[in-house]
Amino acid sequence: MNSWGQLAVIAAVSLLAAGGTFWIKGPPNRLFRCDPASLKQDEVCLESIPAGADVLWVDARSRRDWEKSGVPGSLLWNLDPAEDMQAFEAAAAVRVVATPRIIVYCGDENCGVSRQIAGRIRGLDLGAEVFVLRGGWRALREAGRVKGF
Amino acid sequence: MKIACGIWLALMAMVQAAGLDFPETFKELHVPASATKVNVDFEFTNRSDKPLSIIKFDSTCSCMAVRIQDGKLRYAPGESGLVRAEFDMGNFSGAIDKVVVLWVDKDAADKPSIVLKVRVIIPVLVALEPKTVKWDLNGTAEPQAIRITMHHEKPIRVTSVQSSSAAFKCELKTIKEGASYDVIVTPLDIKKPGLGIFRIETDCDIAKHRIQQAFGTVRRPMPANSEFKP
Repeated sequence: MNSWGQLAVIAAVSLLAAGGTFWIKGPPNRLFRCDPASLKQDEVCLESIPAGADVLWVDARSRRDWEKSGVPGSLLWNLDPAEDMQAFEAAAAVRVVATPRIIVYCGDENCGVSRQIAGRIRGLDLGAEVFVLRGGWRALREAGRVKGF
Repeated sequence: MKIACGIWLALMAMVQAAGLDFPETFKELHVPASATKVNVDFEFTNRSDKPLSIIKFDSTCSCMAVRIQDGKLRYAPGESGLVRAEFDMGNFSGAIDKVVVLWVDKDAADKPSIVLKVRVIIPVLVALEPKTVKWDLNGTAEPQAIRITMHHEKPIRVTSVQSSSAAFKCELKTIKEGASYDVIVTPLDIKKPGLGIFRIETDCDIAKHRIQQAFGTVRRPMPANSEFKP
């Protein structure tokens, strides 16, 4: 068998193995998985937040996204220059008095805004515990905990 | 067999070949307090041996627009280009981090292969320390001070301080005119939780730094351990 024939055999065997895996185990699981071992100090997995926990959710996405698909009862705080940062501060302060545990989420893991918002909430020095949700809105959507999904 | 394995490995290497190379993926800028817009440029070169296309780009924030030089999205091997992030400063102050993400060719929708970071540092002209004064419920209602310090080449004077709540009394005390002030806050009822928002107006010549706010709370002590951490 020449080199091209051998290559074809290797490719065929690889394809068969891949097809078999797909057939037996099904398509790859693309759901977000939070690995507690890889969490940063201020991060939290959605799975570790008890259902009905007394938490103030803060949505760091755009106002439009928050209105359309935020967590029910959540507060908006983003870094949109069109928004009034002092109004965000005041709204957060009012809610923190009643609910001093806060979890901030943004669109996905690339967003990075949630950590900045968490920093700003800590900067208010209201004595709240502030966490960032690993996986952000995507994790919440997949768990069915946002509006419209 | 050796040749077949060689071809196979070469094909795998092509799949993993280097893509668009950015000499800098993080930039930090210090901007004047009065700045309203700032541009940050990221240069790149296609270091692979095949043409590459930027199929999508996003700033993850409405405060930042992203442009690719000349709108060009396809780059031949060795060809260079430029990504420009245009940051609208709004009413921000302090350090702001922003992210620009680019998807190249077959990147998965949730896994852009290029992540660029911009840190913009805007001077804080009117600093409050602490931002919040706190009292424990049923504790002692001792007055506490919020120190206001100006960091501007011109003097900034506090023109008024107003409390949103009648449950907190606040008085303005001048330490050094145009440079330093104290707001002395006293809770009038320490037996129930409360929040006061103190609006501090100044004569700062830059509008976005003119009005500040601080807080006062009477609160229940927080539990020592969080129930969330795994």
